[in-house]
Amino acid sequence: MAFEATLVTTDTAAIITLSGELDSSAQQIFREQIEKAAADRPQRMVLMMQDLEYMSSAGLRALIYAKQKVGSEGDIYIVGAPEGVLETLEMTGFAPSVIIQETYDA
Amino acid sequence: MDRLTVPGTLDSLDEIGKYVVRVAQDAGLDKRATYRLRLAVDELATNVITYGYERSGLSGDVDICTEIDDENLTVLIEDSAVPYDPTETPSPDDFDVPLEERPIGGLGVFLARQAVDEFRYERVDGHNRSILVIHRPVADMETQER
Repeated sequence: MAFEATLVTTDTAAIITLSGELDSSAQQIFREQIEKAAADRPQRMVLMMQDLEYMSSAGLRALIYAKQKVGSEGDIYIVGAPEGVLETLEMTGFAPSVIIQETYDA
Repeated sequence: MDRLTVPGTLDSLDEIGKYVVRVAQDAGLDKRATYRLRLAVDELATNVITYGYERSGLSGDVDICTEIDDENLTVLIEDSAVPYDPTETPSPDDFDVPLEERPIGGLGVFLARQAVDEFRYERVDGHNRSILVIHRPVADMETQER
């Protein structure tokens, strides 16, 4: 399924909703939203993954990029990620660096 | 041997993924193993396309060949790009480094290794060939042993 990323900015967070399949052909779409979100210097980036079906290392690279944008004091939330995506985050040691939740209340 | 041939461009990843999922299901792999195998082939094919072809100023096809026998599902990934042995890519060893400092390289091949039981490389007739072997589930045997 074609990958989409849409950004909503609130007072406290930049919320990017991901859907479809994130492979290297789609990573630029995600990075563009991260860049847009970063313009407001958010303390928190929330990545909504309930509709994300698949994520390759392209997604991991984008996470590194997102974390660089929020800085070491900022937080990245991973919300509603499917099992395969969570397993990838755990296997590569990314899980401790992000906040993993099933839901998020804006 | 079943074979899929696609152009060596990132747009082909979607078709490669669908093909691998279908083959994995034919081989009886469960949902998790299917996801991991799709990931493995995606990562290796992405490296072929990006490093083997595009950044080397070359173009060509990627072949995905599969074979299912009683014990194994075997997947070959072949290309005619610059010689490139993914089994020589070092695995990341810096899992404790803060996220924003993690180097980007090596993650794809690392994920591919985790998904398969055997991972080999051959250079044959001007082609790179990555060989992935996945042991098929032994559910039927377990039923008999009970």
